[in-house]
Amino acid sequence: MMLVRTRASVLFYKHNTITQHSFAVTRRICCVIKVLRKEALVMVLKVFFPQCCNLAASGLLVGRWIPHHDSAVVLAVIHYPFIPSHVKRYIQQMAAQSRVDLSVLGSWSLPQDGQEGMESFLRDLSTMFPRQRWLQISRRLGHKGFTCCLLGSTWPPKERKVMLSQLHPIQNGFPQSQDDTLSELRQVFHTVSSSGPLFFLDKYDDGPLKSTHWQSEGREGSIIVEILKQASVPVCIVLSRILALWTWICSMRVFCVFPLPFLWSKLSSCVQLSYRSQHLKALSSQKTADNHMQFIRKANVFVSFLVDIGLGLFLASWLYKDNNISMIANMLVPAADHVAKELVDLLQWLMGAPAGLKMNRALDQVLGRFFLYHIHLWINYVHLLSPFMESILWYGGLSACLGLSFALSLLSDVVAFLTFHIYCFYVYGARLYCLKIYGLSSLWRLFRGKKWNVLRQRVDSCSYDLDQLFIGTLLFTILLFLLPTTALYYLVFTLLRLVIIMFQGVIHLSVDFLNSFPIFAIGLRVCRPYRLAEGVRFRVLSEEPGSALHLLMEINPMKSSAVVHTYRTPTYSCYPKDSWGALIKKLFVGELIYPWTYKSAKGHAAKAE
Amino acid sequence: MATNVLLDTTITRAMGADDGPGAAVAWRKVLWERQPYPDNYVDRRFLEELRRNEGLRQYRYWAVVQEAGLVGEQLSCVAIFITLWLYMEEGLLSPETLLVISLASSLLGYGLYQALASQAQPVLQPRTRLADLQSAAIFLAFIFGFSPVLKTLTESVSTDTVYAMSAIMLLAHLVSFPYAYPSTPGCLSLNAALFASVCLASRLPGTLHTFTMLSCALMVFALWPCLLGQVKDRAPRYFAAVCAGVCAAGVGGLASRWPVGAAILALALVSVMLMCPWLLVRLQRHKDNIHGPWDEAEIREDLSRFLH
Repeated sequence: MMLVRTRASVLFYKHNTITQHSFAVTRRICCVIKVLRKEALVMVLKVFFPQCCNLAASGLLVGRWIPHHDSAVVLAVIHYPFIPSHVKRYIQQMAAQSRVDLSVLGSWSLPQDGQEGMESFLRDLSTMFPRQRWLQISRRLGHKGFTCCLLGSTWPPKERKVMLSQLHPIQNGFPQSQDDTLSELRQVFHTVSSSGPLFFLDKYDDGPLKSTHWQSEGREGSIIVEILKQASVPVCIVLSRILALWTWICSMRVFCVFPLPFLWSKLSSCVQLSYRSQHLKALSSQKTADNHMQFIRKANVFVSFLVDIGLGLFLASWLYKDNNISMIANMLVPAADHVAKELVDLLQWLMGAPAGLKMNRALDQVLGRFFLYHIHLWINYVHLLSPFMESILWYGGLSACLGLSFALSLLSDVVAFLTFHIYCFYVYGARLYCLKIYGLSSLWRLFRGKKWNVLRQRVDSCSYDLDQLFIGTLLFTILLFLLPTTALYYLVFTLLRLVIIMFQGVIHLSVDFLNSFPIFAIGLRVCRPYRLAEGVRFRVLSEEPGSALHLLMEINPMKSSAVVHTYRTPTYSCYPKDSWGALIKKLFVGELIYPWTYKSAKGHAAKAE
Repeated sequence: MATNVLLDTTITRAMGADDGPGAAVAWRKVLWERQPYPDNYVDRRFLEELRRNEGLRQYRYWAVVQEAGLVGEQLSCVAIFITLWLYMEEGLLSPETLLVISLASSLLGYGLYQALASQAQPVLQPRTRLADLQSAAIFLAFIFGFSPVLKTLTESVSTDTVYAMSAIMLLAHLVSFPYAYPSTPGCLSLNAALFASVCLASRLPGTLHTFTMLSCALMVFALWPCLLGQVKDRAPRYFAAVCAGVCAAGVGGLASRWPVGAAILALALVSVMLMCPWLLVRLQRHKDNIHGPWDEAEIREDLSRFLH
């Protein structure tokens, strides 16, 4: 008993696999742990008793003995007076309907004024319902504790002490999942959730039987949810038709010509659109969710979709009032001009003697003129577009109605277009620099008389011919002296590119946040914390020597951080592909960097299911 | 238990060492048997296998001087190259003249090389004339094509840096030159010399100057050692004369433009070619190498029988 007490005061353990439905009905349970002393041998019997029945009138206990464990779950109390044959028939009916192994467990007595002689009656009941074990639980008004005793044949004591953590043992961090050896708690909850038909009868019914049970205090439900459930069926059908049409349009051959699929995969707005349409497809399918995780995920997707569209409409309303669009359009072309002018100034500075560095004049002039010509082309292109800018923005702003995340990804794409020339410069500079570094390292090995052994992946000595040596040394000298020039151009354009990547990264992160944050789960955690559980909690209610140990079992809600972590919607999130060290090494060598990569949404969805 | 026993016997043996060696038992140089001697006992035959200065060679002065001639000769080559560069830079020598001279002398040298090579027994894979012509064509085309680029390479580098770089590279060339086998070009030495010549050549005032300078460098640093190696192998009597001639040309040429440098060169030549061999012969008597059975094994047998 000492052991039970120390374990029982507060107990937490983690398991997330108890079904959601069972939590809806079992908000609070009492657990009565009974210790019987028989000939100096101690055996422990656990009875799970609903809290709603604490004040029920006397009657019969109906429930289930859990096999292989010394426990019983009480599901309902059928009140006195009753006719035994009716009760037997009722129980058989319910057992057939709910496929739960129901039986009469024993008797419950809460003596109220004016009811004497119950004890003998209750004892006779055990003969009416012949069973091997017969529980007698009784309580006095005003006392907290219950008194229990067990009649019937004894069975060999299996347990001398009870470890409450053994109620749901987890080995190696994974809960057991075989059906035969379901843990005790899982069987309790499973029993309660499967015996739905038993809970239709109420103590105010006019029929021959009256009962009090788990759901006597009111069933869990709300009118809005019921209306939504009814309305969702035709809406789903309409939505799936629209989506089928959209998918058919998207898969037309004209969009699969070579450069287009590549373009679609690079534009983040297209990726976002396909991601959302996948979500809608999953939402509008007719079948209900199989398990708890899927349900929460679907609900998250739905709610975040609504929130997204709401925010997008808000943004659109701001854009279209007070002529904001033309204001933005009028700002845009001068801004592009300003950027181009700054770039030209920068290139002029590089073509001089920047920071006192020694540049090779000829190469400097060549590179500088090349990039200046590009900027000239770019400015002409922007000026060509400027009369249409306002209408483009107007139609683009309509896309905000599709959701704030779509508008943000469209913004990211627009920024990518506007800075395409910087991207081009970066690629040229990086390729030139990479080639130079590669050539230099190879020729440096030649300078020392060594060679890279590809088979052994190491540097070996090598005897070169005279002409190889000669030409190699000449090239080495040339590359070495041209290195500062190329390196400077590369540095400048890489910095510019990094700035733009940072900006795009911020936008992508916020889109990712909108996509994946589990709003529904957080709302559920705030309003109905018992629906998201992370185990059960035990509290000692009464512990008197000679009577049974009385514990209160409550559901332990998950922490908010755990909720976010578990129920995040998997997205095509962009995450950094390389670690910092690898990124710096790539920058140093001159390889092109793509710091953000997209995981494919399909791969993720497949992994999640 | 075993360690305790061992400790005991060691103590008794150590205590017993003061009494002198055990009676009538010959000491053997083994440690895996218990002997009545202490572990660090040695007898009269200690170090009898020690040999001193085995295989010591006695140098003769003039032979060493002759071998050292190659080092001095290489120093003078570098000096001749620098002289040519000085002349070109000060405009005293026009590039066309130098070009003609160097082409003529390379043709001459090529003829000499072929004559010497044909004297000896034919090598397994001789280079054909065509391959030589091809190499020459590639060299010349390359230098000609790249000389505008090469000319602008060190434009923005200061003169002092260029001189310092060239000096270091020429020093590296001298240090890493394969004096034992001058025919095969050493990678680092050739590359360093070419690097230095590119640095110097880019300082000259015209593209043709650069071209000429680089062809000259090719001849002096790449082709001349091959010829010299052939001379050393096939006609050793003339080798000393060639070395002396080159040294004299080096000192004389440098003296016409840069007397201080000539003086330094003469000093260096004397010390390398005359004084260092004398030191070597003198210091041989202080040599004290010991050999014994503790040396690393050297495989002396001929393993070529495994190569078939």
